[in-house]
Amino acid sequence: MTQVAEAKPAVNINEDYCSRCSICGSLCPYDAITRDHENDKIILDIEKCQVCGICASACPARAIDTIYYDRDSLLNYLRKVKPNYKSDTLVVMCKGSAPDFSQVGKLFGVKDFVPLSVPCVGCISEELLLAMLAEGMEKIDILACDEDYCRFHRGSPLTGRRVMALNRMLAQLGYGKDAITMKRNSLKVKVDKDLCIACGNCVFYCPYDAPKLESEGGISFDLDACRGCGLCVSLCPAFALDLENWERDRISSMLPQLIGEMKPPKVLVFRCQWALYPPLNGDVSPNVRTIDLPCSGRVEAIHVLEALQNGADGVMVIACSEDDCKQEGVSAKAEHVVAKIKGQLEQIGLGERLGFGSVSPRYEGKAEEAILQFRQQIEAIGKKGKS
Amino acid sequence: MIVTVLKPLDEILDSISPYKKILIAGCDGCTQPPRGMREVKTLKQLLELAGKLKNKKFEFKLTSVVKQCDSVLTKSTIKPYADDIDAVLSLACGAGPQTVAEVFPALPVIPAQNSHFVGIDDREGGTMFDSCSSCGDCVLALTGAVCPITRCAKGLLNGACGGAREGKCELDPERDCAWELIYNRLEKLGQLDRLKEFRPPRNYQKKAWKVAP
Repeated sequence: MTQVAEAKPAVNINEDYCSRCSICGSLCPYDAITRDHENDKIILDIEKCQVCGICASACPARAIDTIYYDRDSLLNYLRKVKPNYKSDTLVVMCKGSAPDFSQVGKLFGVKDFVPLSVPCVGCISEELLLAMLAEGMEKIDILACDEDYCRFHRGSPLTGRRVMALNRMLAQLGYGKDAITMKRNSLKVKVDKDLCIACGNCVFYCPYDAPKLESEGGISFDLDACRGCGLCVSLCPAFALDLENWERDRISSMLPQLIGEMKPPKVLVFRCQWALYPPLNGDVSPNVRTIDLPCSGRVEAIHVLEALQNGADGVMVIACSEDDCKQEGVSAKAEHVVAKIKGQLEQIGLGERLGFGSVSPRYEGKAEEAILQFRQQIEAIGKKGKS
Repeated sequence: MIVTVLKPLDEILDSISPYKKILIAGCDGCTQPPRGMREVKTLKQLLELAGKLKNKKFEFKLTSVVKQCDSVLTKSTIKPYADDIDAVLSLACGAGPQTVAEVFPALPVIPAQNSHFVGIDDREGGTMFDSCSSCGDCVLALTGAVCPITRCAKGLLNGACGGAREGKCELDPERDCAWELIYNRLEKLGQLDRLKEFRPPRNYQKKAWKVAP
């Protein structure tokens, strides 16, 4: 393991600017920010922080820096990509409820739009929304998760309040009634009752008690309880379950192109989108392509094998630690799934080609380091094979 | 349920190597997790990957039977494939391949699983353990529903033997002494007097090889 002491935290409070107002602490969903009364300081416990960015978005003094999706890089990104689109509509969406842009467009009834995908819409401040309008966006649509589905608990409710307040203000300025619209969306399990064999696997694995076995056989889901982790989908022995926007076939269909455009050694990463935040520009290394998942619980053995069959030299699964998991510790179960398929790959001499990394975005570069290490391991196997 | 474990992939690969067109037949039946379409597809992918490394190419077809030990279900599910395959690779317990062989006498059948026992599935602990020997003469009513034939290493009908140490079997220190379990259960049920009953030697002829329920 690399030493934590050297690692740079992803969130920092700049004491010189901090006015000790404690708004950040009152909004933090994880109680990571507290006030030290003795020294009159606001203190961030980075080990508790899940890097949602809500604190930074709410700080009136801009005293909190985050290395991901901060105000300035989001604005710069918008300026850079805007000319690539024929639209003045910006759609800001939470990754958790919007992996498939074409589906997002349908929700808002827009065909062309500038997409901006963030780990939680709660990291977008009122001021940033206004700045985006000032950059020439005519309209902003925000897609948040349903309130009880929000992985960071407070991101979605907070955004709802922000949009309401801003629209009132913008209306006074003559921007019309709904310059900013907001919708909520949650992606949940889909059941094909014809395929269900009533084995009860989903009932056992679901951390939210969403599935129930019917007395006459078959399964029913309480969709209000489902949080869309995808574990049941990835383990259903009969392929009777699927997950909205993360359908089995959709993930399969992404593989050939992603693997085709990589340069060897080709490393395909399945990542929990809360374990590792993707760069705004997408994958930059020519050797790595990534598929975002709602949780490592959605990692399916058949996708790992399909990736290898399609020519990936290595497959890596990036998950949160059990403690950091936003889905009741599902990541620990995902680790078992990966260990099982790795054991089978070992039997045919391909075990080293599957890697697992348990990471968090709270330290800069940690996840990238894990992927780089794995890539080097894959490279070494390739050289061994040739010599 | 019948507890099975997938055979080593090398062994499966060896067994199927004489054939080209192979039907992988799962079983949605009692095993946990069921060896249904997911296990079928995963095995296909693994065998294709392994075959590629050995320059061996197979043509797999995939299906799963609701219960492979049921000759009617097996016949109707496999029949549409039967004329166009060289062999069946079965993911069911030992009864499955034998059912396929009965129904399709001309088709070679290869088992992909090793069947171990009739077991209890401890899902929380992630283990399954042997619990029933299908002896044909159930004594569970007398023993607080703990089977001494299966779970006592010596199969004693009149335990305990006296060799247990701290509740564990003298033959395997990881294994619970079945007769201690029986004692504890009977104590909870207020039926300790059952232990005073002498159980005569069993008639092992009661073990049937066929029944017509």
